[in-house]
Amino acid sequence: MHALRILGLLATLGALAALPFVAASHIVYLVALIGSTSIIVAGLSVVIGQSGQISIAQASFAALGAYGTAQLANMAGVPHWIGLPAVSLGTALVGYLFGLLSLRVADHYLALATMALCAIVQLLLVHMEDWTGGAVGLQVPPLALGGRILTQPVELYAVIVPLAVATAWFLYALQGSRTGRAFAAARMSEVGAAAVGIPVLRYKALAFSISAFLGALGGGLFALQTTYLDPAQFGILESVRLIAIAVIGGLLNPLGPAIGAAVFVLLPETMGALGRSMGLVFSLLLIAFIILAPGGLAGLAGRIRLNLAQRRAEVSRR
Amino acid sequence: MLGQVLVSGITAGAVYALVALGFVVLHRGTRVVHFGLGDQLTLSAYAVVVGQVFLGLPFWAAVLLSLALSAGFGVLIERGVMRPLRGSPLLVMVIATLAIGAAIREAIRVGMGPQPWPIPFVLSPAPFTVGGLVLVPATLAVAGVATVVMLGLFLMLRHTRFGRAIVAVYENPTGAAIVGISVQDVHARLWVLASVLAAVAGILVAPLITLSPDMGTIGIKGFAAAILGGFNSLPGAIAGGLLLGILETAAGVYVSTAMKDVVSYGLLIACVLLLPQGLFGKAEARKV
Repeated sequence: MHALRILGLLATLGALAALPFVAASHIVYLVALIGSTSIIVAGLSVVIGQSGQISIAQASFAALGAYGTAQLANMAGVPHWIGLPAVSLGTALVGYLFGLLSLRVADHYLALATMALCAIVQLLLVHMEDWTGGAVGLQVPPLALGGRILTQPVELYAVIVPLAVATAWFLYALQGSRTGRAFAAARMSEVGAAAVGIPVLRYKALAFSISAFLGALGGGLFALQTTYLDPAQFGILESVRLIAIAVIGGLLNPLGPAIGAAVFVLLPETMGALGRSMGLVFSLLLIAFIILAPGGLAGLAGRIRLNLAQRRAEVSRR
Repeated sequence: MLGQVLVSGITAGAVYALVALGFVVLHRGTRVVHFGLGDQLTLSAYAVVVGQVFLGLPFWAAVLLSLALSAGFGVLIERGVMRPLRGSPLLVMVIATLAIGAAIREAIRVGMGPQPWPIPFVLSPAPFTVGGLVLVPATLAVAGVATVVMLGLFLMLRHTRFGRAIVAVYENPTGAAIVGISVQDVHARLWVLASVLAAVAGILVAPLITLSPDMGTIGIKGFAAAILGGFNSLPGAIAGGLLLGILETAAGVYVSTAMKDVVSYGLLIACVLLLPQGLFGKAEARKV
């Protein structure tokens, strides 16, 4: 089984490397789009899947990455390859601070706070016209590397897909690491984790900052592909879409974000005229998925089992 | 000026209070925070438009139709989604209600298009002046209807079997079950109640703001009001709604209209972080 899995991974990597040489440029563009989306969603895998906290702010972190990088290039002439990592680190700091603040509350209060953050960021994108281009949107300057301007799908593919592969590997490595195990412990039982000496609060904030970093990185890459930013793209609905991608792909699977992103990018391509109702299809898909396959929310299995046990105890008490 | 701010603030606040009541009514009994409630506001307003424009009903009949459909929709959510999910982690519930909201919004976008629809005012929108205060019959009607609905809600909770069963479940679900109240039925009632409150708020507010698929973002204001009020107190939700309405109107007048929404969302975050028990709620011990 293990050998098979490694073979499968190697085959996938080989296919990803060969793809730009054999496939049509539209396909190359789509696969790169899956790559950048999967990086944004990987942030949710960490914060929702591994550390068990709800975040409805992922679209704003992506917006910070996209707008920040574009405006650093537009206004200060900072090249993307410096600007994107710098903005991502800055966003990670924002995420850490927001995480530290929100640690005082949990569950639906956290969901509400992140939702409000998302709404505020979108409002600021619309109203701070001098900095963001306002409701009209913003042209993204192209990626330049060593005097060469990279705009072709193949060139962006060569930048984005290796980063997406690295992100998937990072998710895998994180899960097995000391940090990842601390996340899991805090997810299963905060009190239990604290009792064995895990600084739960710091780890929860760390999970938030990782999600912000990945969101900003993916958002910056996504901006290079679309070449145009519209504040309407970064609202609460987009955050919910990203959560749907994460859930359907599998919250604890390192390849989950890529699988989910593939579904969400490729399905509209094949549905033709139905494309207009894709948002509806995906929302219904998410509801069906949650009801029919709660086990698919694999990361939460520990908690679900705990809950079932509690329920059984309750029933026997009656 | 201050008087004007108070009057306009209270009319805006009456709608927030209705939405906040919807959240609190539901959360106290079921522990679920319904992130799609804002979109149910939109849905009910669209139901009125459909009744009027496509079925040719008079306004009052379209409103009744919309309220009935909203109640049915509440049952549908409870039976179809929330009951199968009972006992799942809160995280799963939150994602489920978010998905419900997104589904409503997208269904409206597909069915009715992204453009705004006109919807009639309950009373005339022409302003008149009394003692230096500018009053608008349409917004006064909003405040009046909201007051009547809230009074009705409290009378119902206090004096009917239906309402007392709900209060019993609020106080102690296990105890309520022991004396023969079906907790599941009460949950279904709470979903109906929250959906109808949202419907009333939606029909009232739609003419004042723009009726488009994205009207549901007003739900966040309801959240802010509910949190200000402590999230588990019904009078608190009303007070929170009125307070938010006044603060927001004041921000619009004294700061800038563009920052109006930022103020109320910022208030939400500040309140969640600094005052999670709200102004009127009791602090809940975190359960192990």
